[in-house]
Amino acid sequence: MRRLRWHVGVMLFALLAWAGGVGAQTRTVTLQAWTIGPDNPSVTRFTNLQTAAERLNRELAREGAGVQVRVEGFFDTTDWDPYLRRVLLAFQSGNAPDIVQASAALSATWAAGGFIAPLDAAVQRYPQFSDIIPTLWQAVRFRGQTWGIPQDTEARPLYFNKTLLKRLGWTDAQIAALPQRIARGEFTWDDVLAVAREAREKNVVAAGKGYYHRPRNGPDFVLWYRSFGGRDYDPQSGKLVFNREAALRYFRWLRSAVEAGVLERDRLNNDWNRFHQPITDGQVLFFSGGTWNWAEWESQWVRQKGGEAWLWENFGFGPTPTYRRGGRAITLSNPQAYMVSQASRNKDLAVRLLAHATVPDLDAKHAVGSAHLPILRRTARLIQDRFVRESSWLSEYTTFLPPHPDLPRWQDALFRGVSAVESGSATPEQAVELVAQEMQRVLRDQLILE
Amino acid sequence: MEEATRAAVAARARERAWRGLWVPLLFLLPATLLVSLFYLLPVATTLYLSFTDISTVTFRNPQWVGWENYRDLVRDPFLGRILGNTARYVSLTLAFNIGVGLLLALLTSHVPERAGNPVRALWLLPRILPPVVYVLIWQGLTRESPFGLVSNVVGVSRNWITAEPWTVIVLANGMVGASFGMLLFTSAIRSIPADLFYAAAVDGATAWQTVRRVILPLLRWPLLFATAYQTLSLLTSFEYILLLTDGGPGFYTTTVWSLHAYKLALSNYFGNVQFGMGAAMAAVLVVVGVVVSVLYLRLFNFKALVGEPKIEVN
Repeated sequence: MRRLRWHVGVMLFALLAWAGGVGAQTRTVTLQAWTIGPDNPSVTRFTNLQTAAERLNRELAREGAGVQVRVEGFFDTTDWDPYLRRVLLAFQSGNAPDIVQASAALSATWAAGGFIAPLDAAVQRYPQFSDIIPTLWQAVRFRGQTWGIPQDTEARPLYFNKTLLKRLGWTDAQIAALPQRIARGEFTWDDVLAVAREAREKNVVAAGKGYYHRPRNGPDFVLWYRSFGGRDYDPQSGKLVFNREAALRYFRWLRSAVEAGVLERDRLNNDWNRFHQPITDGQVLFFSGGTWNWAEWESQWVRQKGGEAWLWENFGFGPTPTYRRGGRAITLSNPQAYMVSQASRNKDLAVRLLAHATVPDLDAKHAVGSAHLPILRRTARLIQDRFVRESSWLSEYTTFLPPHPDLPRWQDALFRGVSAVESGSATPEQAVELVAQEMQRVLRDQLILE
Repeated sequence: MEEATRAAVAARARERAWRGLWVPLLFLLPATLLVSLFYLLPVATTLYLSFTDISTVTFRNPQWVGWENYRDLVRDPFLGRILGNTARYVSLTLAFNIGVGLLLALLTSHVPERAGNPVRALWLLPRILPPVVYVLIWQGLTRESPFGLVSNVVGVSRNWITAEPWTVIVLANGMVGASFGMLLFTSAIRSIPADLFYAAAVDGATAWQTVRRVILPLLRWPLLFATAYQTLSLLTSFEYILLLTDGGPGFYTTTVWSLHAYKLALSNYFGNVQFGMGAAMAAVLVVVGVVVSVLYLRLFNFKALVGEPKIEVN
């Protein structure tokens, strides 16, 4: 009996010593990472971090650093609104995750709020970051510092339905030339309206299905305002700008489209299904969307009809047109970025993990899987995907959201104007004044009114 | 000597009064604590926040701005529209809830229980459904044909939520809200002594006269309760509007006060929220609620309702 007790004692001691030894050798650091699509195919925003953790762990083991990393967190597929609320409450209650992925434009708001950490020094340390397309860094810069690591980018093209254009009498050659004509400013917003009006008159499309845009607020309204010649930011003073003339052109176009039966007056109906369904049923002639919609349509909407082949057969795309002949077409990129929270106790490890996530193969995997555009210059060579290859040229036309913490309030005010004009609650002239007043009221000295 | 006695008597009286007082105070303590913790404290916090500029950006160092948020509210050119929407939403939904609730209670208690009980049970179904599921059903019913039942039945294909947003909102809320009044009124009707109905029948009263002269006067108390309670809860409720129309379609078409406050204070697509402003709107809502309650109490003559009964029945 005594001997047995002695044996057990020795074994226990040995076990404890072993466990203690292992514990002293490797410590596991858990990094919390919160990510969002909300489109399902963008799940690689999270899974790429997990893959990066595996690679980082191998590297750490080789170095004998005594640290291993585990990535925990989630990928949100609901909506931005609850996601951002959750992030904000986490920031405020001191339970912020180490890494948060969100629109790069939010880095200005969160930096001003003191929630995220500047990353300039860390960025210099890892060579992976030097391959990021230089213009993308603009999107995460605010007050002279860098607040995030670009994760992906995209373009917001004007799509068109080839089948419906053919029914209007367009030839294949004409359709094939359309994207370049848009890009060169030969096919303007007025032409979009004219063709859609014709389609409506010839009953090629049903009422309101000549042109579709997103059903709720979003960055695209800045794009459309810009495409009508609007300026939203003054780099000298760092203030936001509202240009009445451009807004009036935009609002008048919307009003004409509604009156011509080309645009639904309840297009802002808050329901994404009512956007995707008619489009993928082949009922809508022109529609503004994002490159990521392509992946959504392929996997969720046209799978039964033949998937991507059906999309290539029926849809084409170009940049967002300009309002005047000979002007330059544009598109808007609202890159996603990983940000590191100020409260994180493992900022260095978090940035190192992000460096491992910023490599061509993971960048390519995300770009192909979710129809976003790659952020690394070396990635393009890896990609065979037709959509990524044929949409990458849109990047040449891209613009970014202005880096101002009050941009959300500017966007809300513009959106109020758009919804007033479309629903017929105000004339374009009234709506412009309404937006101007609202912006003055909420932005005060942060606004330049032109 | 006399003085000493008087002092002693007074001291004893004080002691007795104190002894008589501390027992009720002790009993009141838990309720007082709960009310302070879950009502007074939040009200005070909301009021305090409404005088600051707290938002996403200023969360770490909010500034005291005095009445600025309230001045901003008054300057908001869309306030009239939102107030109008709120009045419309509360009054229409309330009328539906009380009217249909009363009708259901009267009808189901005038038919045999075998028929009445299942009807009442059926009306309780929307109430036990989670709001999101309930709204999904509505969205399904109101879509364009060939997907939507309403479009198929009526023969006009349109999305009924954006075509008739107010009708859908009032109906969706009412289908849930009516069952509240129905239950209250049914139990009140059941508790009316049968003698009164016999007496009315003996006097030759018609069914309508019985309802008008016997039942309705006796339902005044539950009617006051249901009306006041539902007004207050409708003023602060917006979940079905949020889920059905999100305040649209278009320009503030169905945005009510509480939804607007929620959006300013807690929800924003771009993630910059104005807690201070939202708190100011919530504070205004508290004032509106108190005013409406006082009006109701006067309208239904609350004093008479809680007065001594004129006849003592043993």
